[in-house]
Amino acid sequence: MDRFVSSGSMEAVSRGDSAPVGRMVTAAGDTDTESSREMKTHFRVCRFIMETGVKLGMRSVPVATACVLYHRFFQCVSVSVYEPYLVAMSCIYLAGKVEEQHLRTRDIINVCHRYFHHGSAPLSCGSDFWDLRDSVVQCELLVLRQLNFHVSFQHPHKYLLHYLLSVKSLVNRHAWSRTPIAETSWALLRDCYHGTMCVRHAPQHIAIATLYLALLSYGVELPVGEREWWQVLCEDVTKDHVDTIISDLLHLYDMEAKWT
Amino acid sequence: MDRDLLRQTLSYHGQTLFAHLKCEQSENPGFKAIENDLSKASYQRKDGGEDNAVVEQFIARKADILFAPSWKSSAPEDVLEDEGEEPYAIMPPLEQFMDVPFEERRNLLYRDMERGDIVIGRINSIRDFGFFVTLMCMGGGLERDIEDLEITALCPLRDVPSNGNHDDPLSYYQMNDLIRAGVKDIDRYHEKITISLQPSSLAPNLMNLKLGVVSRDDLPLHYSRILRVANDNRETYERVLEGSLGYSNPSNVEYILGKIGISETQPPSLMRGLQRKHFLMEDFATAIRKKQSASWALKCVRIGVDHFKSGRYVEAMNEYNKALEIDNNNVEALVARGALYANKGSLLKAITDFELALETCPTHRNAKKYLCQTLVERGGQLEEEEKLVTAEGFYRKALTLDDNFPDAKQAVRKIELLIQKSLKLRDEAAAKDAEKSKNVETSAEKLRKILKEEKRMKRKRKRSSSSSTSFSSSSSERSSSGRRKSKKKRKWRRSSRGEKRRTRISSKDNKSVADDEEEWYPAPPNTSASFLNLKTSTVRPFDVPDTTEDQGQHHSKGRNYFRSHCSLSSVSTDALDNSRGRFEEDPFDISPQRAEGSKGKGEGSKGEGGRDKNGDGEVNGRVRDREASRGKRKSQEGHTVPQEVSSSSEKAKNRRTSSSASSEHSSKSSQSNLPSQSCVSIYSLSDIGGYGSTEQAIKKEENRAVQRYDGGDKYRSSPYTSGNGKGSAAEGKKKVLPTNLLDLFSQIAQFEKEKCIKLKK
Repeated sequence: MDRFVSSGSMEAVSRGDSAPVGRMVTAAGDTDTESSREMKTHFRVCRFIMETGVKLGMRSVPVATACVLYHRFFQCVSVSVYEPYLVAMSCIYLAGKVEEQHLRTRDIINVCHRYFHHGSAPLSCGSDFWDLRDSVVQCELLVLRQLNFHVSFQHPHKYLLHYLLSVKSLVNRHAWSRTPIAETSWALLRDCYHGTMCVRHAPQHIAIATLYLALLSYGVELPVGEREWWQVLCEDVTKDHVDTIISDLLHLYDMEAKWT
Repeated sequence: MDRDLLRQTLSYHGQTLFAHLKCEQSENPGFKAIENDLSKASYQRKDGGEDNAVVEQFIARKADILFAPSWKSSAPEDVLEDEGEEPYAIMPPLEQFMDVPFEERRNLLYRDMERGDIVIGRINSIRDFGFFVTLMCMGGGLERDIEDLEITALCPLRDVPSNGNHDDPLSYYQMNDLIRAGVKDIDRYHEKITISLQPSSLAPNLMNLKLGVVSRDDLPLHYSRILRVANDNRETYERVLEGSLGYSNPSNVEYILGKIGISETQPPSLMRGLQRKHFLMEDFATAIRKKQSASWALKCVRIGVDHFKSGRYVEAMNEYNKALEIDNNNVEALVARGALYANKGSLLKAITDFELALETCPTHRNAKKYLCQTLVERGGQLEEEEKLVTAEGFYRKALTLDDNFPDAKQAVRKIELLIQKSLKLRDEAAAKDAEKSKNVETSAEKLRKILKEEKRMKRKRKRSSSSSTSFSSSSSERSSSGRRKSKKKRKWRRSSRGEKRRTRISSKDNKSVADDEEEWYPAPPNTSASFLNLKTSTVRPFDVPDTTEDQGQHHSKGRNYFRSHCSLSSVSTDALDNSRGRFEEDPFDISPQRAEGSKGKGEGSKGEGGRDKNGDGEVNGRVRDREASRGKRKSQEGHTVPQEVSSSSEKAKNRRTSSSASSEHSSKSSQSNLPSQSCVSIYSLSDIGGYGSTEQAIKKEENRAVQRYDGGDKYRSSPYTSGNGKGSAAEGKKKVLPTNLLDLFSQIAQFEKEKCIKLKK
């Protein structure tokens, strides 16, 4: 955890309004590598967030909130300025508060420490521990300020579940119980938080897209009426939307193959 | 891999997918197993399906996860929600929004409807064989938009429950009633639906819904929403969703996840790195926290031990308590605190701490050691307080913990000896006490006795005029048996039945043996002792103050005899227990009981070699015991000696008569309101087994007694009443005593008198 910025230096480096605009005008090759490097980092950190979420027993929605906070934070600031893992820890802490699944900093620090130092003994109650704790708390405030305190989001999860129930009524009950549509769509939804697509698309669209992909994976056919089932679920969704989201999502799986 | 699912996918996507699959899943043994199977069919892409290579590649890559049998989680049973609450937004069926054509909806309905679903509809015609219902909506099990399909279902007569008043059940129903019914049968080919109002037709998860006539309020929520949507074109799915109450429920996600069966603690993922198998339990927050708490607590304990060694006990305790706050069951902290308690002297607290520590970690050496030491110390403390048994318990506990603990072993040995000694001492003390207590009578007791005897004397004087010379064995037997019975009742009541029975049985045994001898050898010299006892007991009423003394002496005498002749130590302990028991219970009637006991023992002393006759003798003995007790009481009440003696000696002759007499007596005594009698009846009932017809007669009498008097009266009145009863009984019996025994009796009476005089001196 030595890479973490200690509480003292947090003040010095906070430059909340540094725009990423400057970076975009550099040479294409640089941008690519840099942006791809960034994407790689973000992917890894989001993977870190998701793993930590499981180990902390976090529900799907708070984990999603943490990832969204993280993505939104780094949409505005540069990754070179702020230690992404510390920001991730703070996002987890903050998301727990926002989504009413309160987590103790002690648990977050324990799990993260072990993530970086496999199989190590838990931290003793010393200066390291307290410094880390201070850092997390300070960073949390930083994230809040960066996001202008807009920290509650509409997530696709609620929509996806209601869509699932509606679609379930369309199909034969035995076919439904045979086919793991719900699990697959839920897994796809959770996985989509590895990338920024979760902040670039509307939650209903994401929900529809994951459901669509799940149905496609198993070759399930739904009755057709005047309108498609997915058109009905959300008024403004188009096939393009769905396709874009699906392709983004699949891209994420490729990223995993590449970078982990 | 799930072959059927794969086949379904393949038939949707076509051969290209199969190619991808083969490529991506070449190392997957699950795939290989079914590859051959799958390749047999050739797959055509469905018409209208797009060529989506990326998706197909994705499917192929993730096929090992997607089609794994464990991927599918088992959904819990579908429970119909209480729609008043709306935990999540209940939506009208999608078909409605999609405007699925009529025919297709109809086909789908017939395909998907099943037995046990609930439908709601309106009665459109009633016939003799049942009624027809036009279906309006589904009530559970399936959610479809069916109203405009205008499907009619038949509810046959036999599926209409009768309402019990022998009318035609159909008369209860009228046109246009809203009916909720269960689908009983579907003929998909002919598109006929049969419904039923019997609850048995429902699926198990829908069982609690009421079938029959319903009101508009009972219509399901989704139906009202259907209507709303049908009436208003602007109502889109989205608007309905966002407008419903369940949508705003913050825990609707959790709720639906539970309904569907997806776990939040082990969430599914298609990412390779997030598969469940990669997560180790020790990386989870709770596990790390526990370890951390333990180590933090240990730190505090170390500091505390330092304090302890330097003598700063208060600080040490503070540190230990701090450690235990951090980690509740920390073994080291508990052991250290226990040691501190033990040093301070709060041994019990120390023991609690050590035991708690050993619960968590049974092999902790120090905990065991300290616990042993503390237990031994506590045992020592208890020993000094004379609580020897508890102390022994502690020592033994210490030994079970550590077999080789020398102090504990020593202590256990010591305490065992001590306990044995103390038991012996106690025995002797109790014996002495028993004697003493016989002698020591409270003035209240004495007074009561005097009163009792005076009353009896009065009654006897009335009767004795008629019974002065006629010693009817049967009467005396009856009386004696009655007395013995009541005595026994008292005996039986007060101390434990088992003991009593044993005492009595053994004493009866002896008595019976003695009686046998008595029977066969008319008054041999060595039986005088028993008569002696009897006589002293009979003489007693005349020497009121000396009663107890005599009793005590005779009791001890009897016991001496008993010990010498019959070495049943158990009986002596029984007697002890009895006497002890009597101590604890009513002191009032101790003496009569002891008299009984002494008598029994005295008679038992006769029983040298009479043990062969145990079987028969036992039973006889019991009868006689009863009689003897009766006799005793009678003597106490002031009956003349000869009656008493004759009673015992006449037993042999008039066993049958006596038993009948006793039955008579018991009936008589029962007339005199003796709940105690009934108790004895019960007792004798249980004791006697298969004696014979007379026994049965006795039993019947006693049964009657029992039935009549269920412990209504206080038994304190019983001495008086029993006296009365016995007195009256005695009267009748006196006449039967043969004269050749008169000599004997007079001799014995003389002898007794002399003895009494001697004792007085």
